[in-house]
Amino acid sequence: MADPIPLHVNGAERRITAPAGLSLLSALRDQLDLTGAKYSCGEGQCGACTVLIDGKPVRSCLVPAASAAGKRIETVEGLERNGVLHPLQQAFLDKAAFQCGYCTPGFLMASVALLRRRPNPTPTQIRSELNGHLCRCGAYPRIVEAVRIAASRKR
Amino acid sequence: MDPKTRYKIETFDIEPDRFEIFAPSAHRLEFSRREFFATLGAGILYVISAQDAAGQQPERIAMRLHLAPSGLITVLTGKVDIGQGLRTLLTQAAAEELRVPPHQIRIQTADTAITPDDGGTWASLTTPQTVPVVRRAAAALRQAGFQPQALQQTVASSVTLTDPKDWKILGTSLPTVNGRDIVTGRQQYGSDLKIEGMLHGRILRPPSYNATLTALDTSQATNLPGVRIVRDGTLAGVVAAGESTAAAALALLKPQWKESPLPDPSTLYDHFRKTAEAPVFQKGSRYPALLEAGAVADAMRTAARRHQTTYTAQYIAHAALECRSAIAVWEGRKLTVHCGTQAPQVVRRELAGAFRIPLADVRLIVSTIGAGFGSKHRGECELEAAALARAAGKPVRLAWSREDEFLAGYFRPAALVDVNTAVDANHRITAWDFHNYNSGAAGIAIPYTIPNYYCGFHKSASPLRQGSYRSLAAVANTFARESHLDELAHLASADPLQYRLRHIEDPRLRHVLEEGARLFPWPSRSKGAGLACTIEKDARLALFAQMESPAKVARLLLVFDCGAVLNPDNLRNQLTGALIQGIGGALFEAIRYDTRQVLTHRLSRYRLPRFADLPAIDVHLIDRRDVPPAGAGEAGITLVAPALANAIFSLTAERRRALPLSPSPAFKT
Repeated sequence: MADPIPLHVNGAERRITAPAGLSLLSALRDQLDLTGAKYSCGEGQCGACTVLIDGKPVRSCLVPAASAAGKRIETVEGLERNGVLHPLQQAFLDKAAFQCGYCTPGFLMASVALLRRRPNPTPTQIRSELNGHLCRCGAYPRIVEAVRIAASRKR
Repeated sequence: MDPKTRYKIETFDIEPDRFEIFAPSAHRLEFSRREFFATLGAGILYVISAQDAAGQQPERIAMRLHLAPSGLITVLTGKVDIGQGLRTLLTQAAAEELRVPPHQIRIQTADTAITPDDGGTWASLTTPQTVPVVRRAAAALRQAGFQPQALQQTVASSVTLTDPKDWKILGTSLPTVNGRDIVTGRQQYGSDLKIEGMLHGRILRPPSYNATLTALDTSQATNLPGVRIVRDGTLAGVVAAGESTAAAALALLKPQWKESPLPDPSTLYDHFRKTAEAPVFQKGSRYPALLEAGAVADAMRTAARRHQTTYTAQYIAHAALECRSAIAVWEGRKLTVHCGTQAPQVVRRELAGAFRIPLADVRLIVSTIGAGFGSKHRGECELEAAALARAAGKPVRLAWSREDEFLAGYFRPAALVDVNTAVDANHRITAWDFHNYNSGAAGIAIPYTIPNYYCGFHKSASPLRQGSYRSLAAVANTFARESHLDELAHLASADPLQYRLRHIEDPRLRHVLEEGARLFPWPSRSKGAGLACTIEKDARLALFAQMESPAKVARLLLVFDCGAVLNPDNLRNQLTGALIQGIGGALFEAIRYDTRQVLTHRLSRYRLPRFADLPAIDVHLIDRRDVPPAGAGEAGITLVAPALANAIFSLTAERRRALPLSPSPAFKT
């Protein structure tokens, strides 16, 4: 076992002890019980494991937990505040921008990063920004609508 | 006993296309009141077998509803939620008939210790089969005023269901009941579960497709702390306290394999022909493998013109985003498995058989599933987890990797379809001779009026493991039929829409075509437009497509009539998703393999539809409150390939008869 790694997750200081090379995804899911980020491909093709590190979307299945030490990590579990959904969560819910919902946390986190950088994206920008994410159920058109609605409500 | 035969005898008929149910297990290996109330809490449990007026349904399905002192009503179903909206639809059905608000209803999905066996979650049966049963049970309970004594009388005298024209909750777009859990990340899928004290397993996979293990040197792997090597019949794996230790131990195993080559993929379709069996008529089957009328041979002889074509479809993968996982717990000789199967009772029987224990001693508790599309009908992962747990003497979690999904699961069957037709001097079709090799009987029936026809499904030997996929063989068969119809229209110099209408009597099918033509509009002024229509699982649908290039769809317009619509927004979501999924299989998805191994074993090698592939999509629903609703989770996928093939023909004058239609160069076989 390696030394404890300090992880700053959703505003809280957490500490994990992880074997060398453990992915951030496994650390979040298995050690911190944050199972919102999902495993699906293990090679950065699907985006289901997306979380934010210092505001940037990353594929947590490819990032070693140790490399995230001391950085600001945001996961889907941190979006809701005092029982109030984040505007993107509310918009995904209002548009039912999901079917099985397995890809939803990844789409949400990537969209959070997108709207911070670009508060009013066009549909083309949304599609191109989220093209690295897979929704096998095919909720894509609703996801674009949900991101646009969230952007319009934020303004 | 063969699990298919067993299941068939004990429950109900399964379509012949469910190859995975016929297949042997992945490995050969040498309830009580307490459970109800532990899960549901105190209250009254009603077991209701409510027949309809004709005494027809629901044969053997007894519905279970539980009333808690708080007023919360739990509907127990053996079905599972795979993203099709099962919880929402059953909530609507129960709330409508009980006259209670939807938030007072809870749906308990498959837990074999407490829920009834109402069949696997497949074949779009939730709407036509489960919803009516829940409605009848709920209506009976309301009419009896929740009094058990009165309930017996109510059921005996049959119940009155709410007339669809008076629906207040059914027929509305009730939002997904677990939507908030989905957007907050709180929704628990099978792969999110943990159990106190569980260990982690890994399975040793062969380096080539059909290799078998002949020897295993475990000396190095056993040096790792806390690692247990498991060999049980044909299965080999490791168990350790953590996933990374299990992975490290697996890498230290030194196996020897006996390889056995696959037939050359370039000979696949010949292989199907060589190994084909004659179609056999099965009485009472949902998809008979043989349908015939008139005298095809005579009509062929006297034809003004004949047209003979062959269509093919490659193996494709389901690629549901959640990979399989299972946690197996043994208590003595009793086994509990937490998992994400679409067919809990099939897997339960498989496990009871594999471990030679009574069925009553196997309990499956199914979580919400990160989609299935037909991939999760067999207990490969559950069986492996249970074998590891039995050897380890502790609960074991086994989570499949994406590679496991590709290499140890099964694919949608590849297909070879011969279509041979005859027309008279007026270009009317007089004979239809249709043969599907290998992929299945679903969708061989013709919605056109043709006096002489022979439609048969020939079982063949498949080199790769194959099984159910969204709408089964209807994708390949509808592709062949609707492409061929377009070819006949072209040969007759007729408009493909008018040519179809000349052969269609069914008023609802005519209506979806005419409605689509009005909205699209058809005939299109631009090149690159194509259409297709079908009757699939009692639904009538027509799809109009506009292609920008042979590899890019610009627009899809679907007109869909499945009778009464239970939840319009959920139905639109399902149909849109089916169209998008259909684009993958139509244009570029294909499993590539060589004589040793499947080569497309990761998502970086297996292309799936993304935003960049997305056309503009319009879905028009025709809500017929007077027609009992047909299932709709699958049907939308069946028209994409033919509509796109027909659109490509309009664009390029090239007739493409092989799926995928436009494989990217790197993926071409």
